[in-house]
Amino acid sequence: MKTPIRSLLRCTMLASWFVLCAAQAAGYETAQTLSSLPKPFAATDFTLQGEDGKTYRLSDYRGKVVVLNFWATWCPPCRYEMPSMERAHKKVRGEKIVLLAINVGESEDKVFEFTGQYPVTFPLLLDTEGAIIKKYPVIGLPTTFVIDPRGIVTHRAIGSREWDDEQLLAPLRKLLEP
Amino acid sequence: MMRNHFSSICPGCLIAVFRPVTLAAVMVSLAVPAVAVINTGTDAEAELPYWEVVEHGVSLRLVQRLPDQTRGFFQARGFSIADSELIAQSCVFQTVFKNVAPPSDPGVIEYNLDEWVVHAAGAQFRMKTREVWQKEWTARNAPKDAQLAFEWGLIPTRQTYRPGDYNWGLSMFNLAFGAPFDLDVVWRHGGVRHGARLKGVVCAPDSHVSPTVQ
Repeated sequence: MKTPIRSLLRCTMLASWFVLCAAQAAGYETAQTLSSLPKPFAATDFTLQGEDGKTYRLSDYRGKVVVLNFWATWCPPCRYEMPSMERAHKKVRGEKIVLLAINVGESEDKVFEFTGQYPVTFPLLLDTEGAIIKKYPVIGLPTTFVIDPRGIVTHRAIGSREWDDEQLLAPLRKLLEP
Repeated sequence: MMRNHFSSICPGCLIAVFRPVTLAAVMVSLAVPAVAVINTGTDAEAELPYWEVVEHGVSLRLVQRLPDQTRGFFQARGFSIADSELIAQSCVFQTVFKNVAPPSDPGVIEYNLDEWVVHAAGAQFRMKTREVWQKEWTARNAPKDAQLAFEWGLIPTRQTYRPGDYNWGLSMFNLAFGAPFDLDVVWRHGGVRHGARLKGVVCAPDSHVSPTVQ
């Protein structure tokens, strides 16, 4: 005799298993790796308007670690990692680590619409002409660079990550050590 | 005879992009091992067929993409109906290429789509890459924002992945709806060349679902 609770539990476990299998099959699972660049390079400075109407200049963040993400709303892996970037942003509040996400080629309206589904509180910058992405060695979206407090690009990740994972936050914090 | 070879290729595609494979590419195809294990099935998210190889640090999956999905996606990015149709008729797959080597493995994965060979209807071709499409969009005067989305939406022509890195992107084979083909893929893991043949891949049919009668 099945109890309702047991049935519910079984359904929940089945649903969880299905979601896990679906995620793995679709390639959602990500390894939490952040590769250090064999040849670090100076980050190209830029000034971009944010979706919030403010103006952002990269060099204003000198002295901090910058996680610089290139993305688009139509790119599935870009969407997958947005919530973890928001969690990371909240987790490192008060530390000298900032996240900037540069949207490539889309309008302010499109990005605003996106934030309805994926609410984020870190800056979303608008590279509407695709001019800034050309100044960085990006070949596919999403690509994320880590810039050290001196303005040197030291790490890169291609594809989505769980940015609030301690495995990824540890190397960022290490860059802040004297 | 040549006409027969191209019989399953989409109309209007018999242009320079389907240039004959060079001797080097033929040598690549001869070097492809026949023992690769190819997984096939239905992709859980897309609910469409996929073909996959997982070997030597690489996971590569091609998932069919319905022409209507492609039409809708590119019209929403600013392409005209005619340009979206051109893309939809190009046998489009969602492609996921990943470096699945363990983080302890220092070897990077590299590939170049110009080394990959498509075998269809007795002929051999290369894939239609970003660079080839770019010339076409310039000639067709496609809107800049649409071109930008197209460029970044395609799987990169050449890429280097460290452990954990991956890309999603569209790949295009310029074959007719429902056409079968084999694909020789080549990559390097830590500088060592590997290859696999994805056999019996099939382009998505141009099916239209009728509204359900209530």
